Amino acid sequence: MSAADLELARLLEHPAIWRGRSAARAEVLPTGLAALDACLPGGGWPRSGLIEILVPRFGVGESYLLLPALAAATRSPAARWSVWIAPPLEPYAPALAAHGVMLERVLVVRAPEPLWAFEQTLGSGASDIALAWTAGRSPRAREIRRLQLAAERGRTLGVLFRPKSAARESSAAILRLAVEPRSSGARVSFLKSRGGARGSVDLTWGRR
Amino acid sequence: MPLPVSAPRPEPRPKRSSTPLQPVVSPKRFPGAAPVSATELWIGVHLSEPAEQALSRQQLERLAVRAQRFTPRVSLVPPDGLVLEVKGSLHLFNGVEGLSRALVSECTTLGLKPMVALAPTPLAALVAARSGKPGSPMGQPGRPMGQPGGPMGQPFVVTELTRLVGQLMPLSLVVLRWPEEVLERLARMGVRTIGQVLRLPRAGFARRFGTEALTTLDRLTGRGPDLRERFRARERFRCRRELTYELENHTAILGELAPLLAELGKFLEARQCGVTKLECLLRHRHAEPTRCVLRLATPVADVRRLTELLGERLSALALPEPVRGCELRSGPLELRVLASNSVWQPGEHGGAAGAEAPELIERLRARLGPEAVYGLRVLPGHRPENAWGIAEPAAGHLPGAVTRRAMPGGRSTPGGRSFARPLWLLPAPRLLRERDGLPRRRGPLLLHGEPERLETGWWDGGDIARDYYTATDLHGVRLWIFREREVPHRWFLHGVFGGGGCGGEGRRPAPNAGHGIGGAPLCGAALRNELYFPARRLTPSGARRASHCARLYSPGHHR
Repeated sequence: MSAADLELARLLEHPAIWRGRSAARAEVLPTGLAALDACLPGGGWPRSGLIEILVPRFGVGESYLLLPALAAATRSPAARWSVWIAPPLEPYAPALAAHGVMLERVLVVRAPEPLWAFEQTLGSGASDIALAWTAGRSPRAREIRRLQLAAERGRTLGVLFRPKSAARESSAAILRLAVEPRSSGARVSFLKSRGGARGSVDLTWGRR
Repeated sequence: MPLPVSAPRPEPRPKRSSTPLQPVVSPKRFPGAAPVSATELWIGVHLSEPAEQALSRQQLERLAVRAQRFTPRVSLVPPDGLVLEVKGSLHLFNGVEGLSRALVSECTTLGLKPMVALAPTPLAALVAARSGKPGSPMGQPGRPMGQPGGPMGQPFVVTELTRLVGQLMPLSLVVLRWPEEVLERLARMGVRTIGQVLRLPRAGFARRFGTEALTTLDRLTGRGPDLRERFRARERFRCRRELTYELENHTAILGELAPLLAELGKFLEARQCGVTKLECLLRHRHAEPTRCVLRLATPVADVRRLTELLGERLSALALPEPVRGCELRSGPLELRVLASNSVWQPGEHGGAAGAEAPELIERLRARLGPEAVYGLRVLPGHRPENAWGIAEPAAGHLPGAVTRRAMPGGRSTPGGRSFARPLWLLPAPRLLRERDGLPRRRGPLLLHGEPERLETGWWDGGDIARDYYTATDLHGVRLWIFREREVPHRWFLHGVFGGGGCGGEGRRPAPNAGHGIGGAPLCGAALRNELYFPARRLTPSGARRASHCARLYSPGHHR
């Protein structure tokens, strides 16, 4: 690296200079998947904010994306709740434990109106990660905005699972991913990522 | 050995040089013995049980509440005793005699028969009260105590520590309420009274009967400290408000409850307590009052939070009629554990959640119902349905106190291969449609690997005999399905792995794994690695695989 480059780098470190990619300076939670970390802004899931994961159907690998982060979050000494709101099926405790998730920190909420419970959880500041599935009604754009604000207020990572058809709608979520199954893993496409990569990345699940 | 085996000798001192149990002149002579201030005077009350029913804890507490008019230092000795420290209040109640008369009359009002005694240590007072016979003067309710320090048969009143042991000597050992076998062993040694046991050498006594018994003796004679928890009367908050108008609106009702809640807040604050249960009664003109009960995970004294929760609960309430009056009743008060606040906000720089953790659960439960919010736990067992359970969320869980527990996620076979468990379980196995003995779900299913056989639970009627397979459907969703081992060999869907296809995982089964999966045409084929029928709507690789399997299977199908 030449002297000019060094000088430029030092200049760019100045806090008053804002660059497109520096929006991702926020705290992150490593995803546990190196290939995904490399593509995400800041190198992990944002610590606070709402992200959307769009799936063609339930169970194509979207939950595996989050399991390592869930395990790490529940194991940290200052762990808060990891809340699962209105999951379509029962989260199976032995499998969660096998993936390293501390069950003592997991909370399952059955709600006929998942969005209300989701917003309460995000805004309360009592949870690290909140996962929510919208059963029937697709949330409107202003509701997403509300959830995003609540997540920032409560410093919580909110994950909203939505059908793939929602990709056309605009959304206030800071990160939008689409997941499709592949033969031994999943392909993650980045629909919206502040300062992160575009395109898609193929992930392979370890043998579990 | 130092212990006398025969009847006790008249000479109180054993020949051994070990220290006798009894303090000879003053407890301060013995090094290490905690000096007990002889400035305390305790009244022991023993309640002889009424023959019809046993004395209840409630009765004892009621008496303790009344006894608190004599002194704040009242301690319960369940099931039938009470001790009061009265040194400071003797002069207020006309001396020992006046005080005991007043105390006895309190007992008789409650229908209890007390026996009272006064001594410098609580245990001695209690023991002396127990040994009093109902026929003796001090046992009769309403009769005053006699002069201090009278001989046996007279009331037991000892005001000086130095004279205590002498007075205790003739009392039977039974009143100490030691275990039956200890008393029996002592009786075999000829030791039947407190005086005799006090003469035994300390070291030998402790060796034979444990240090606990020795501590009891020390407490009895005032040689060791006797700390007793002070009785606190149970308090509850109850406040009522009648309205001069009728209300239907929930917000307006909450507004009317606000002064009651504010009063509750002050009440709790003054006592440094919180409530875990709060009941709100809404009265109507004709209908029965509507009850609305709030249950909290931790003691709460925060009015704002209580109001919020009560509002949630009220909004879900269907009122039969307009409300004419309201009432708040608290459950028992509980001491609040005050914690200091963190410098960081929760989640900021790894800050933990403090009070928010139970608050979130309460808020969700107030609206969704208590069973809608739950935690998870792993249960021991091989049946997939019984390997997990719901748990009460660990509300008071301290951050960092999480203990690491080794939990087997998959069952290991002796060969060392563990079978994966799905991330999602169906509430109940769902029957799958079949074609040619093979399961289908929105199209054919592709089976992977070898089956895991679970056959257990015969002892409690919930027996299962299943072969579990991992399967992938047309959309690439990995499923956990099983086939019954009994006829009619139906297929069921039981779980969803939550991860995509596993074509590349390639668990190769043993080539000849024919361990008796009944059912004729399936037998060979299902145990082959992969099956895929029919070969429609397939990716090129899937089609290749399917045709390969079809050739392996049987020539007649779906070519």
